[in-house]
Amino acid sequence: MEGCGDFVQCLLPDMSIKILSCLDDPADLIRVSAVSSSWRQFVIGNDLCKHLCLKRFPEISSVGNMIEVENTVVPVVSQPEKSTEWLCLERNHRVYAFLSRGLSNCITEDCLIDAIHASSTDNYPEESILNTLKPGDRVERRASYWSSGGQSDPTVPETLTYKLISKLCLISEIHVQPFQAYFQFGFPIYSATAVRFRVGHPNVKIDVESDNGLESVAAQARSFCDKIVWTYTSPEFPLVQENILQKFKLPEPVLCIGGILQVELLGRVQKQQLDGLYYIWSVPLLMICRPQNSN
Amino acid sequence: MSSSTKFLTLKTCDDKKFVLDEAIAVRSQTIKNMVEDDCVSNVIPLPNVNSKTMTKVIEYWKKHSEEGVSKDVLMDFDKAFVKVHHSILHALILAANFLNDKEILDMMCQEVADRIKGKTPEEIRKEFDIKNDFTPEEEEEIRKENAWAFE
Repeated sequence: MEGCGDFVQCLLPDMSIKILSCLDDPADLIRVSAVSSSWRQFVIGNDLCKHLCLKRFPEISSVGNMIEVENTVVPVVSQPEKSTEWLCLERNHRVYAFLSRGLSNCITEDCLIDAIHASSTDNYPEESILNTLKPGDRVERRASYWSSGGQSDPTVPETLTYKLISKLCLISEIHVQPFQAYFQFGFPIYSATAVRFRVGHPNVKIDVESDNGLESVAAQARSFCDKIVWTYTSPEFPLVQENILQKFKLPEPVLCIGGILQVELLGRVQKQQLDGLYYIWSVPLLMICRPQNSN
Repeated sequence: MSSSTKFLTLKTCDDKKFVLDEAIAVRSQTIKNMVEDDCVSNVIPLPNVNSKTMTKVIEYWKKHSEEGVSKDVLMDFDKAFVKVHHSILHALILAANFLNDKEILDMMCQEVADRIKGKTPEEIRKEFDIKNDFTPEEEEEIRKENAWAFE
């Protein structure tokens, strides 16, 4: 015992696991697995990266199956001395380490980074979707909100599509505040009856470059939205018709891979007196990526 | 010390004997169970612990059993306590595991982990006297696979 520095070799496995479980940065585990072949064997064989990832992001356990199902794809066996089982463990090691690292970037209150597309806009750019990213419902004493186009049918839904702060996000809560038109007679609230969310990833590369002017950007955004693969749709949350912040906690946190979020506003409530059409207006939306319960 | 103080004799693997107040010795869950089960005769053998390590453990137990010792003093004591060569750290982990003293075990494991944190594989090898048995090609591949962790 005396003089033995290599604890992985000279302590009981339980104790080495205990030691390595004190590491909370996935990069440390990756570097530990590059120390020697027995250390590598130990870290990968005991799934330490997975345990760390689940410890830091317990929400991931619900998508664990999805990650590991992929293992059914047998890796190209170029190293005959390694078993398929080992190659899968090695892969989990990489995937979970990368996942914990990716997710640690998104512990934030507001994870909407950019607006991609609104299904309709009444007056562009004064009532653009971009206004829903700016905090508050007034900017420089002017009302700041997005307004849909008017519809005579109150059941026509609207969608707002956003880019998330990171391609890998865990979303746990969504906050919505209906907008009260304080500058119109009677202070009407142009809200929807319910709200629903979808997350997904683009099927095509996002092409932000365009030399064809505004019209074509909008067309591109629309066609881009048509090509999104939606991986999750939330239940419908009914909205209270009041100018108050409404917080909706998802039944369980949702892992968004691909960084696209769409808010669906369902059902129109308020007719505009001026033209007799139904509108939906919205002020800033806030997505909570992850409750900040850990340090 | 009251007259009712009971003493226990602990015998380490290198045949050294330690006479200790029972109230202190039962910090070890293992010893506590033995006392409670009434299977303590004269001497408690500790076949997995040597005298050098046991001296350290007893030093810790005594300090943490002192009456009226402030939190700050204990924190400073703990800080100095873990500043030992890794071989002693490992011996203490083994001893704490055998004696079932969670406090010492947790503290020592945390210390070993702290010595790993933020270090490159090469620095970790140096810290723990570990031989690199990867071929340069293997090492290169591992680095490439997880390049982000080596930036």
